[in-house]
Amino acid sequence: MSATGGARVAGWRTLLLAAAIAGATAAPAWPTPARAEAQAAAKEEWRKEFEEVCARTQDAMALPSDELRSLVARCDKLKPVVEQLDESQRKVFSKRLRDCRAVYQFVLDSREAG
Amino acid sequence: MKRTTFAAVAAVLVAAPGLVQSQAPAARKGRPLPQEFGRVVLDNESTRAGVPPVVFEHWLHRAKFTCRLCHVDLAFAMSANGTKVKAADNAAGQYCGACHDGRRSMGGRAVFESCRAGAARPLSATCLRCHSSGRDAKPQVEFATITKGLPRGRFGNGVDWEKAEEMGMVKLVDQLPGVSIPRQSLAIQKDFALSPKVQGMPEIIFSHVKHTAWNGCELCHPDVFPAVKRGTVRYTMTEIFAGKYCGVCHLSVAFPMQDCQRCHVKAVQ
Repeated sequence: MSATGGARVAGWRTLLLAAAIAGATAAPAWPTPARAEAQAAAKEEWRKEFEEVCARTQDAMALPSDELRSLVARCDKLKPVVEQLDESQRKVFSKRLRDCRAVYQFVLDSREAG
Repeated sequence: MKRTTFAAVAAVLVAAPGLVQSQAPAARKGRPLPQEFGRVVLDNESTRAGVPPVVFEHWLHRAKFTCRLCHVDLAFAMSANGTKVKAADNAAGQYCGACHDGRRSMGGRAVFESCRAGAARPLSATCLRCHSSGRDAKPQVEFATITKGLPRGRFGNGVDWEKAEEMGMVKLVDQLPGVSIPRQSLAIQKDFALSPKVQGMPEIIFSHVKHTAWNGCELCHPDVFPAVKRGTVRYTMTEIFAGKYCGVCHLSVAFPMQDCQRCHVKAVQ
């Protein structure tokens, strides 16, 4: 084997090793069924929480203050989750969440203002 | 004397929108035609992307949907170009794409699909149904057809939408499956009177019933009406004609404020 040929084989070996390490350490580029299921469940979870939290705006005036405070706290907890969504969803659900939180806070503030 | 005061204030109010509009560089002169009232031209991205801006007709949508559905559930902002809609958003099923997904139907007609990012050029006839600014595009549904037979209004679209709904002539959809949160019907809040500052002006009766039916709570509170205690804010017609408070809707989409007696309804004592 010539010197050039030996260098070429060594180069290939390095490349293969790097690829193997990268493959072993990196997250899979495509979701496994279990991973996809977990992602879908997480997705469902925030949406379910959003729908539960923001379903009470219609009767906010009739809710006890403690419940309103709890809803505001749940909105605040959900906010960072919504901010992690893709751009389109983030724009829509950030506004929706902000609006519903604002109604609850508005009712609380109205009560405190007397 | 009281009548004279009322007439003078009414004259000022009728003239005021023209004065306000004339200060805005993009505003057209004079009153819009009935079919143009509520028209919004959206150009966050269009011109930059080399396509005509979108012309959105409020009359076409308000004849079918509550304000709440689009401005709360679909998260459309209350000011033109405030939403920053992109083609990618529509393609992802948000904003216009929530309804205009090519799968839904309305009144037996398929709802055409809204944009897809990277749409082929030249734009298709479907694209040009919305991206129609500066083009002599004829809508598939004519204003005259939609408004035919509806109770007349004096200003705006020339339609009394409120009466049209009361009479069952328009049936507004308030929930979009898969998008809206199923809600219980709203507990009806009491109407209340607001005393005008001008002597001789009839009192304003604010109808919570009418407003909540179309808007829910979050469309107005706290963004449009942030006061948490009644009587702490002095609403002025100057501010309202400048687009604050009632003016957010009642300048350009809901019946315009030239129609004084729609709000100032209580007889002068």
